[in-house]
Amino acid sequence: MKKKLLSVLLTAVIAAGTLAGCGSASSGSGDAGSAGSAEAAKDGEYTQITYAFVSFNTIPDNTADVEEIINQVSREKIGVEVHLMPLSIADYSQQVSLAAQNGEIDIFHTLGDLSQAISSDMVLDITDMIDEDAAETKALLEPEWLKTCEGPDGRLYAIPTLKPFALQPMLIYRKDIAEELGLDMASVKDPADLTPIFEAVKAAHPEITPLAPVSSGDSGMSRWCDEIDFLGGDYATPIGVLQGEDMTVKSFFSLDQFKENADLVRYWYENDLIMKDAATTTSAAAELMSSGNYFAYSASYSYPLEDTAAALSAPSGFDVGAIALGEAYLDTSMINAVSQAISATSKNPDAALKFLNLTYTDETVINAMLYGVEGRDYVRNDDGTVSYPEGQDAATVPYTAQLSCGVLGNFFIQWPLQGSGSVESLAWEDEQNHNAKTSPAMGFIFDATPVRTQLTAVSNVIQQYFPGIQCGSVDPATAIPEFEKALSDAGYDEILAAKQEQLDAWLAQQ
Amino acid sequence: MEKKKSKVKVKYAKSGPLLLIAAPGILYLLINNYIPMFGIFLAFKNFSYKKGIFGSEWSGFDNFQFLFRTKDALIMTRNTILYNLAFIILGIVFAIFIAILLNALGDSLRTKFYQSAMLLPNLMSWVVIAYMVYAFLNADSGFINNSVIKAFGGKSVAWYMESKFWPFILTFVYLWKNMGYQSIIYLASIAGIDKSIYEAASLDGATKVQQIFRVTLPMLKPTVIIMTLMAVGRIFFSDFGLFYQVPMNSGALYSVTQTIDTYVYRGLMELNDVGMSAAAGLFQSVLGFIVVVSANALVRKVDSDNALF
Repeated sequence: MKKKLLSVLLTAVIAAGTLAGCGSASSGSGDAGSAGSAEAAKDGEYTQITYAFVSFNTIPDNTADVEEIINQVSREKIGVEVHLMPLSIADYSQQVSLAAQNGEIDIFHTLGDLSQAISSDMVLDITDMIDEDAAETKALLEPEWLKTCEGPDGRLYAIPTLKPFALQPMLIYRKDIAEELGLDMASVKDPADLTPIFEAVKAAHPEITPLAPVSSGDSGMSRWCDEIDFLGGDYATPIGVLQGEDMTVKSFFSLDQFKENADLVRYWYENDLIMKDAATTTSAAAELMSSGNYFAYSASYSYPLEDTAAALSAPSGFDVGAIALGEAYLDTSMINAVSQAISATSKNPDAALKFLNLTYTDETVINAMLYGVEGRDYVRNDDGTVSYPEGQDAATVPYTAQLSCGVLGNFFIQWPLQGSGSVESLAWEDEQNHNAKTSPAMGFIFDATPVRTQLTAVSNVIQQYFPGIQCGSVDPATAIPEFEKALSDAGYDEILAAKQEQLDAWLAQQ
Repeated sequence: MEKKKSKVKVKYAKSGPLLLIAAPGILYLLINNYIPMFGIFLAFKNFSYKKGIFGSEWSGFDNFQFLFRTKDALIMTRNTILYNLAFIILGIVFAIFIAILLNALGDSLRTKFYQSAMLLPNLMSWVVIAYMVYAFLNADSGFINNSVIKAFGGKSVAWYMESKFWPFILTFVYLWKNMGYQSIIYLASIAGIDKSIYEAASLDGATKVQQIFRVTLPMLKPTVIIMTLMAVGRIFFSDFGLFYQVPMNSGALYSVTQTIDTYVYRGLMELNDVGMSAAAGLFQSVLGFIVVVSANALVRKVDSDNALF
């Protein structure tokens, strides 16, 4: 009975607290928050939060040592202790979904699925907290970038990861072959110019296939259309898109440029200029290149051409060069693809947001998350870059999440890995972010909830036809009409109409 | 009253130890199969993380719509059922055939060898098998294109682009993987048949073939029925690895490799929608339940001794 009374009392106190918090959100709660953390620090009791993120490196067994380094900073600055939860890309969505249901994580990041996360209430509304808890971060970001993380209700739900956003389509090719055959790579202005180059390579080296796919079913072709705003879709499943300044939502697959490129790739396929198995291979580009049987592949990167080539030379096994196949173009999905969010079930959202702020502003915190413990996991060079300790590499050190550099916090305060970046590159990338051509619909977020049934059906149809068309293994003249028929059977037009309607409403508001 | 009570007591005293033996199994079923059932009603909800499982709003049959949205619904249901039927029938025929052959070899070292060799594929994961198939079929360097077809002067085939071959390839791969395992069950049943029946048959002048058709096969009937009923209950579930991994997720083959499971997986990988996944699972379970109950009813009508329940 006593216990029951106590719990009732506690509930009442908590309820009163929440109500009070609501009443004076702007003035009172902030003071209470900072006072709370200071008090907590005195007792040696810190607010515990958990941060889940994708690591493309080996998932470490033990993160305690790294957490200790981070916590030394965060205890003092904000009275918070963090627990890191690096997850592999294969498990990430599922694990985060489960952990969010149980309230086990406080911070996670989206992977191109922000609007789903918002519509399923997975992420917390941080509109009223950001000025108090993460003002420095807010100042780092352009207002229009933050707008990409707003829900249909105009509230802020996440913070975009600050990194080079502007992806530029490029061709990565083997320098040794280009030099041997005297190919003029600089003459390539668009994909059609590649045909004579590929033919020359094939003629001189019949054993080499000129073009490898980026990954299964992706020849890189969907990146070659100019000024595309995917309106919430991506390269793999483009649905309704905008091209250029025209504000009518169009089907990606009926764009003239798309059809031209499809014919081009088909020509390559028929003349053995692209890998025959491109639509089904399970090998990725770097792996194929390092086999020595391929000349080039096409993908998008957000770094300067020379940097990209330098960074890709090691994984490709050859000295590679890079040329641009188009211009960088910014749309909403590029900014909010990876954005940091507070779980709706978090018990300490303020502490979580304050910690998030540190990952955008504190070098020690973000670099410890990426590189681990100095001396054990990495060494710092005199020029400010980072290397693995003598005789070690990314696979052998106990902790590294180096490949998550574009996923966590602020890329521009991360120390570059030796050979993959420099101060000048960072300046160039920062400038690209601010100056790259931007879609007129920047900030518009498509809410897929009303058409989610159609979307499921349509994405199945796309997976069925798109890889074959992209890799030239089916004839576009017959496959594209068939594809379009299947799409409209699946409710494609309803999605386009919903997009147009939402876009018009959004435009009217601007 | 008193008497009745004691009767119950006696009954429990007898079956108590047996129940105890069954306890881990019952517990497993409870935890693994029954407790998760409460998630069923997620299929009728518009799931929200903030509101939780119980707080989310009801949405009627909205979550089921995507299953029937396109003509894919017909294709995937057709594929699921026809493949499973083929697997059940061919599976039984081949498994019994192998079991009889192995049994005829007697208890020797080579029997053990054949048995193990046939069991081996069953222990491999679908991913490994998918790559073995790939080694045979891939367009650039596969064994069939490079060695077999070339040797006969034929034109190489883009196997992963041509859907017409796949019903046969998938059935073959399925049989290759599962035959050894299924035949063990039949082999055990054959070993359990009373030897004196065979002796009597041979005294009456029955040949080996006659013994197989007149003694072995009739004696196997109960096992066949139970195995079939169990397989029929899962007729709406496909072997995900077989249909997803082995065709290398090739889009051009969807018309013959798309089953309910792969459709749901492909569709929901994009959306990560809890409600729709639950709806798909419920749909399969309900259909499977109906099929197994009606199959059992049929068996009971024809041969009531062999019905499951």
